[in-house]
Amino acid sequence: MIDWGAFLLVALAALIAASVVVSSYSFGLRLLALGGRAPVVGPAEFTDAITIISPAEAKAIAKRAKKAAKKNPLTDAQKRAALVGAYACFTISALAVLYGIYLIVPYFHR
Amino acid sequence: MDVLITVVLVIVVALIFDFTNGFHDTANAMATSVATGALKPRTAVIISAVLNLAGAFLSTEVAQTVSGGIIKEGDGGVQITPTLIFAGLIGAVLWNLTTWYFGLPSSSTHALFGGLIGAAIIGVGFGAVDWAVVMSKIVIPALVSPFVAGLVALLATVVAYRITRMARSNGSESGFRHGQTISASLVSFAHGTNDAQKTMGVITLTLIAGGYQQSGTGPQFWVILACGFAIALGTYLGGWRIMRTVGKRITDVQTPQGFAAETSSAATILISSHLGFALSTTQVTSGAVVGAGLGRRLASVHWGIVGRIGLAWIVTLPAAALVGGLSAWLAVTSTLGLIIVAVAALVVGGGLVLLARRNPVNRHNVNDEQDEQSEDRTPVASGAGRES
Repeated sequence: MIDWGAFLLVALAALIAASVVVSSYSFGLRLLALGGRAPVVGPAEFTDAITIISPAEAKAIAKRAKKAAKKNPLTDAQKRAALVGAYACFTISALAVLYGIYLIVPYFHR
Repeated sequence: MDVLITVVLVIVVALIFDFTNGFHDTANAMATSVATGALKPRTAVIISAVLNLAGAFLSTEVAQTVSGGIIKEGDGGVQITPTLIFAGLIGAVLWNLTTWYFGLPSSSTHALFGGLIGAAIIGVGFGAVDWAVVMSKIVIPALVSPFVAGLVALLATVVAYRITRMARSNGSESGFRHGQTISASLVSFAHGTNDAQKTMGVITLTLIAGGYQQSGTGPQFWVILACGFAIALGTYLGGWRIMRTVGKRITDVQTPQGFAAETSSAATILISSHLGFALSTTQVTSGAVVGAGLGRRLASVHWGIVGRIGLAWIVTLPAAALVGGLSAWLAVTSTLGLIIVAVAALVVGGGLVLLARRNPVNRHNVNDEQDEQSEDRTPVASGAGRES
């Protein structure tokens, strides 16, 4: 009556899916930083991920990013490779999100 | 005439239930995003409301039975009249308002099923309820899902922190904020595709039972529209009390944890509903937040709060059933009884809203914790008792 197998399946699938997405996204962030393009957000009290920043803030942030990039010991080629890796990681995460949307919209299954 | 009154009342209460459903469940998707500052409170509820609305329109497959087989409806089963549906909805709405008042995340679906079960027992008898289905569809998933989500979130949090060197890697803070925004939106969307449907189903089946719609047809456009907007409006107004509990009081959520928790919730919810048994969004996200709390070194999980939430989950079904049963007992007597139930529910519900006003939680103070002490002393059991 109670389908324990289904629970186990959900648990395993969720574990794998979440691990893949979280680690690829985290690796992407790490590689982005290595590539010298770390996303830097101003230290505002209530930073919003989709806030539009003022030009002055953007300038300060660009300066900080430049400074951070200077400390980077990698060669240009290595940086480029890191960036490619970062975007590949983000692509995996984005595909996972699209697949998720595909799964919940019944229209796609007909 | 009596049938018309009942049908109208059911539709009104169903929409109110839909509203409290959205209101209650904003916290599921958005609490951690608001707590970590990934989204401003208002932005968060707007995104969530829009996605709930979109979800409601994209998925309108209505179940053949109101209760999904929990009550033995249909051919050869019992007749669930609009009056009983009405009574069940009253139980669900009042329980939702009570848990909201105490800031406890509890499953709106369980409240709905609880109310219907109570009404069916009073109206038809114990035999009307398929207890095996109650066990396999409600009790066991409720016990399992928080642990599954918690485990997934625990691992995801550890992974996120490991890879980004305890989030000290350059840019990881803001990077996780973006990621969290997306995964939280996915949870909201999934919620819209699931929860608005339930109310659509209830209204459609009532219309069919009342003879206003042909059997076997899908929800009418105005029903989809009304349900979508009711849940979106509820989501927009936001259950800030519950958001504070989930985002701040279970554990102090940091951005990598928020990202890990939301991603785990989204994965668990999407996979389970794809496999045909949707787990409760509320239980999955609450479990994920606890898991994320355990996954970060030096983070503490407030087990007292977790215990209260667990207690509320256990009480949800019986409490809603009790209110639903009482309402059914009165409502089946006559039209007058029906109206008395409606008025009484309005008074109790309004009373809870007024009580909440004395100690309001809104988008301005959702992340504050200073009045936690005074709230903590209110035992949840007394609330449940008063309600029933």
